[in-house]
Amino acid sequence: MDAVAGVGPVTVRLAFPPEPRLLGTVRLVVGIVARKTGMGAEGIEDLKVAVSETCAVAVGDLTRAGVRDPIEIDLVEGPDRLGIEIRDRAPAHVQDPGGPGDGDVDDRELGLALVGALVDDLKTSTMEDGGNRTSFWLRRGPELLDPATGGLSLDPLGLPDDLPPPLT
Amino acid sequence: MDLDLNVRKEGDHSVLEVAGEIDVYTAPKLREQLIELVSDGSYHIVVDLEKVDFLDSTGLGVLVGGLKRVRNHDGSLQLVCTQEKILKIFRITGLTKVFPIHSSVGDAISAPAE
Repeated sequence: MDAVAGVGPVTVRLAFPPEPRLLGTVRLVVGIVARKTGMGAEGIEDLKVAVSETCAVAVGDLTRAGVRDPIEIDLVEGPDRLGIEIRDRAPAHVQDPGGPGDGDVDDRELGLALVGALVDDLKTSTMEDGGNRTSFWLRRGPELLDPATGGLSLDPLGLPDDLPPPLT
Repeated sequence: MDLDLNVRKEGDHSVLEVAGEIDVYTAPKLREQLIELVSDGSYHIVVDLEKVDFLDSTGLGVLVGGLKRVRNHDGSLQLVCTQEKILKIFRITGLTKVFPIHSSVGDAISAPAE
């Protein structure tokens, strides 16, 4: 399995086409996974905002570039934190020809600033063969650890072993 | 996922009750509603966010756009929100200094114009 965000092997991998209408579903799934790791309500909300904002930027970039390749999200459960890596195939820095959104507010910059404030160790990079990689992690909190195991509590979720290969 | 909007008049104010999730997919609907209100002459708007489950930067941008529109007519745009997860978004982005945020529609309507 791949290592993500310096946390550990991939626990759950999602892939979805770059369509804005799917962001709500992505938030729902990410929230369920986070809850199964024992993450608290506030952490889950932070995670949903961070993932949604990052994916919204990717959806916008991919749409403007006319690229339909899926966006991939890896979630990695560590002993005390949840690591996230989001990958897309958008050309680097695809600018919105319309400029800032409503009210002269640059939604993209606002969104990235929001992510930076909510998560730890935010990293963005361009992948060797194109596309973008964003990674970060959120602490699960000591009260969230499973007392029986001293740590992990995530169910296997019934995921198949033959997950698609990463985009890299 | 959907966004439900309901508008009612309370005195000089138009109260826009928003329910659901505000993101890049649904925010255009909110933007159109705010534009329509201002076009119809509603320059004092209260946006009730108490039934909003999720708010992202696109939604924030739409609200800022609405504020600019009503201010062009010497109007006001006030928010109603007591949900910590939503308030946190406003605090992080510094928009608590831009929007008057109240704990009830009644408080928003009775608040002095800024």
